[in-house]
Amino acid sequence: MKDITQNMVKSLLSDRKLTQLVIVAVIVFAAFSILVPELFLTSRNFVSMAFQIPEIALLALGVMLAMLTAGIDLSVVSMSNLAALSTAYLLVTQVTEGDGNVYVWIVITLLIGIFVGLVAGLANGLIIAGIGVTPILATLATLTLYNGIAVGVRNGQSIIGLPEEFVAIGNSSLWGIPMPMVILLVAGVGVAIFINKTGLGMQSILVGANQDAARYSGISVKKVLIMTYTLSGGLSALAGLIIASRSASANPDYGSSYVLLAIVIVVLGGVNPYGGFGTVTGVILATGVLQMVASGFNALRFSQFFYQLAQGFVLVAVMVLNVYVDKRRMAAKTKKAPKES
Amino acid sequence: MSYITPVSKRKGLQLFGSPNELFLIAAIVVLSLVIGLNNSVFFSIATPFDLLRSSLIEILFALGLLIVLVSGGIDISFPIVGIFAGYTTVVIMLRFELDTYSLIIPLVLAAIVGAILGSVNALLIAGFGLPTLIATLGTAGMFRGFLLSYVGSVYIANIPLGLDQFSTADLLSVETSAGTLARLHVLVIPILILAIALAWMMRRTMFGRTIFAIGGSEESARRMGMNVRWTKARIYILVGALSGVAGILYISLQRKADPYDLAGTELEIIAAVVLGGASIMGGYGTVTGTILGVLLINLIKDNLILLGVPGSWQRAAVGLMLLIGVIAQAVADKRRLKQSVTVAKEDSE
Amino acid sequence: MFGTENISKAFGGAIALSDVSFSIEPGDIHCLAGENGSGKSTLIKIMSGVETADSGSILLNGQKFRSLSPREAVAHGVQVIFQDFSLIPNLTVAENIALSTDVSEKRKFVNPKRNRQIAANALERMGVDIDLDATVQSIPVSSKQLVAIARALNQGVKILFMDEATTALTRKEIDHLFGIVNGLRDRGVATVFVSHKLDEVQEIAQRITILRNGSVTAEGDIKDFDRKSIALAMTGQEVNEVRLAPEVPANAPTVLQVDSISSPGRFRDISFSVKAGEVVGITGLLGSGRSEIAEALFGMTSIESGTVSVNGTPITLKGPRSAVAAGIGYVPQDRLTQGLFLHQPILKNVLAAAIERFVGPLGFVRGKSIRETVTAWIADLKIKTTNPQNPATSLSGGNQQRVVLAKWLAMTPSVLILNGPTVGVDIGSKRDILEIIRQKALDGMAVVIVSDDIPEIVQIANRVLIIHQGETGAEFDGAEIQEASLYKELAA
Repeated sequence: MKDITQNMVKSLLSDRKLTQLVIVAVIVFAAFSILVPELFLTSRNFVSMAFQIPEIALLALGVMLAMLTAGIDLSVVSMSNLAALSTAYLLVTQVTEGDGNVYVWIVITLLIGIFVGLVAGLANGLIIAGIGVTPILATLATLTLYNGIAVGVRNGQSIIGLPEEFVAIGNSSLWGIPMPMVILLVAGVGVAIFINKTGLGMQSILVGANQDAARYSGISVKKVLIMTYTLSGGLSALAGLIIASRSASANPDYGSSYVLLAIVIVVLGGVNPYGGFGTVTGVILATGVLQMVASGFNALRFSQFFYQLAQGFVLVAVMVLNVYVDKRRMAAKTKKAPKES
Repeated sequence: MSYITPVSKRKGLQLFGSPNELFLIAAIVVLSLVIGLNNSVFFSIATPFDLLRSSLIEILFALGLLIVLVSGGIDISFPIVGIFAGYTTVVIMLRFELDTYSLIIPLVLAAIVGAILGSVNALLIAGFGLPTLIATLGTAGMFRGFLLSYVGSVYIANIPLGLDQFSTADLLSVETSAGTLARLHVLVIPILILAIALAWMMRRTMFGRTIFAIGGSEESARRMGMNVRWTKARIYILVGALSGVAGILYISLQRKADPYDLAGTELEIIAAVVLGGASIMGGYGTVTGTILGVLLINLIKDNLILLGVPGSWQRAAVGLMLLIGVIAQAVADKRRLKQSVTVAKEDSE
Repeated sequence: MFGTENISKAFGGAIALSDVSFSIEPGDIHCLAGENGSGKSTLIKIMSGVETADSGSILLNGQKFRSLSPREAVAHGVQVIFQDFSLIPNLTVAENIALSTDVSEKRKFVNPKRNRQIAANALERMGVDIDLDATVQSIPVSSKQLVAIARALNQGVKILFMDEATTALTRKEIDHLFGIVNGLRDRGVATVFVSHKLDEVQEIAQRITILRNGSVTAEGDIKDFDRKSIALAMTGQEVNEVRLAPEVPANAPTVLQVDSISSPGRFRDISFSVKAGEVVGITGLLGSGRSEIAEALFGMTSIESGTVSVNGTPITLKGPRSAVAAGIGYVPQDRLTQGLFLHQPILKNVLAAAIERFVGPLGFVRGKSIRETVTAWIADLKIKTTNPQNPATSLSGGNQQRVVLAKWLAMTPSVLILNGPTVGVDIGSKRDILEIIRQKALDGMAVVIVSDDIPEIVQIANRVLIIHQGETGAEFDGAEIQEASLYKELAA
């Protein structure tokens, strides 16, 4: 445990991208605190953010895992809705008022929901690794398919009226920390451990860095990719369940703008879209930054459309900045003796 | 002196007759037969007319996307560019009380707005070298956000008359046996001309050949002296203009300007272009294939009910088609890669 | 007249070229030789306008230039053909040859008929016949090279630089290429072969310029040089050619047994065995199947019939993992794209194959033992680095190859197959790597080296197997292994 926190702090300070992100976070925080302190600097606001961050962060973590292998997962939102609908449907049909077995059902339906996400992710993995479809197209297709299934099974309708015990999970707090946040922290630590401390995690970074070399090193690229996308499905499902719990409903079209948001977060968080680099800390921090922006905009009465504009802008700006930083780093390197000439 | 003959021969671009296109035509024919046999109402002149009418705008978008795909990139912002340009054009026309009967003015305006938006993409992709998926994902968000925040988020029912009337400008109208009117919209002609023009451009101009070259090997194209950056910039500006025109025509045919429209349709169009034979790796693709791809997808979509698929499952059907399309493409791409030969087979005998 | 006068170039503090002068007349065939880091590619870049010299001038057509733009260089007839040929795979042969004309003439429209004619003319001038309508990706490598030359001809080439032109060619194709180059000479085109394959280049080039550490260390007529003097000028060291082949104990067990393996279209009926501590060299011309055999033994391509056994147990080879599980390691031909994760830390590179060995029951990795193991291997193979967390790009070619070796040695394989292990490695490291291989063989490993570097094979192998057009040819043992006899057998 100490090892992990030590690593987190070390990476926060040594990784240039992370320190930049921390600076950005501080600036954003300061800006909104100055502009609308009465709405922004309230405990209510922070608690509200703490409730909203986890669902998006989990989706972003799913995208991050895919990006580490030099791929991408655009279907995270559809998978999360599908999982949420499965759980919600079962809860609503199986649990009646005042049923004593509510908690048993909750556990069962939660597991089923996560299972649905894992299966959806597994399908992604099989299409990408088994058949060889490029991740962009594969997840674009499954995004539509999963969304279509979610719409089809319920005729386009949402499910409402979830049992209050279930709703309570997403809206309660554990020792002052909102439950969703607890789930995120546990999941985040899990993903970080996966990447840094497990064999498959280390292999997925190598697969992202150079798929050919990974194959020539005896790494099973298929296994790594299938595992990666399955995990992404699981994380998406977790996100979906939190959303269902917090909003007491499941909606097949929820969060359609979250895909852009997740990618903005991932890129802002320092994940390399070409594979091989990325940290959980960066992603969670970036989610925090964007949530602050969202709530700050809200306080400033900016429309949600303006928030979307800002997201697109941030994504583009960060990537352009990355290009400049890399260019300067390359220029500095070629000033030194080239190894081969 | 004769030396080595290649193991296989295949052309980079053909107007007609590649196996993929034949397969699409076969699929369309077979599907039509299946639908028609189940539902004889299908076998009327109205069917191809309606199919064309519902496909025309998408064909326009798809042709733009084809160019991007051949260059090795991908663009998911084009429908947003379309609705942005179209809606803004309507807003401008109404606000400045421009000639309400004109058709030229909105077309030109929309093309200009589309080109401006396209140049943003051009700056990011050609200028800064950003990866195309993420760049256009970002610009899509920016454009949409900007549109709904600053241009307007209001549904406009009273679009300028010229546009409104255009929606019923039919080339032919035939009375069917069922007593209804089967209408072939006049847009068929200009879009056909545009398609032919684009195909010609891709084959016979340096711009077009450079696009294929960039898609095949960007670095080699650069070393050959081709101006890769400028070509890429022109691609995105052109596609922007095309999307803008498609957007305003969409508004015309729909007879309303709703800024929330068109978002999300990029998936279908990508599916159509990929089904039509364009490779996401770049360097391959035909106009004919693209048009066939759009027709096939719309054929299925428009007749899902006749095929027995309830309305709520339509999206899933589209998703499934998308999936089949990309899987078929991946398999075809794999086969194409295997055909690259490294050593003359004759030598190692 | 073409060449340079007193060209110097430094990148930051490091000198790439120092007072380099050389000259070529039209119709000359010249060899530019030098190790990696000698400055030869910087020199080419300066002559083709991609880089600017700090001082000195470039001579083109007798005119002096202080600096050039790429376009000016092309206009004056400078053409460089890199190893990848810079062709467009999805366009036709005709287009690849002729489009550059369209580009330089700033045309807006393309006339396919005209382009076909231009391409046909260029090919005819070379005396070569290639299907004009074939896409470049569908023609063999040697044809691609010819198309690249045709394109250069089409652009009015006067001095043609060919970077490692013969690496990917069979003997027959090399002969054909040299025929073409002689044809070019008759047309007054000067050709510069940038190569380290001295034996081949000696056949065709008349003069040679050797660079080392940015300076010209030797130049003159090729007939005045032999391999030793060239190597001395390239490295500054006397080449130690003492044989390194390990002594194999008489009762050493057979580790690798290959019986009649065949892969249709690649090789047929290959059999050989390797004992513990033995180094078996497999060589043959390009296209003979030698590389394919190596990759098949690592499970990369399928073996249709025959058996492979390791330590007496027959194994099924389906994919690299099965090979690794059987105790086979493979150092691939292309270090940069197949062997290394360039931007990843050296530590991860060394660990790449062995990760699963350090994984506990729950899937967790034992961090401490990883660090210890990797540090030990880095020391053992004398990989020069200040910090194992540095990316692999920070290493020189020789050290990078050691990393790839370390990756496999960390797996303690029973059999290690190496494909072209010292390609692109400086001479000093070459010797070191061969010594490492020798040491591991002495420790009991069975080694197979697939290579086209005859001197290298002569140095290290106990036995040599020649592969000829997919089938086993002659075998050489011990004292029979002589360069002359190997070359003779290959050319047969």
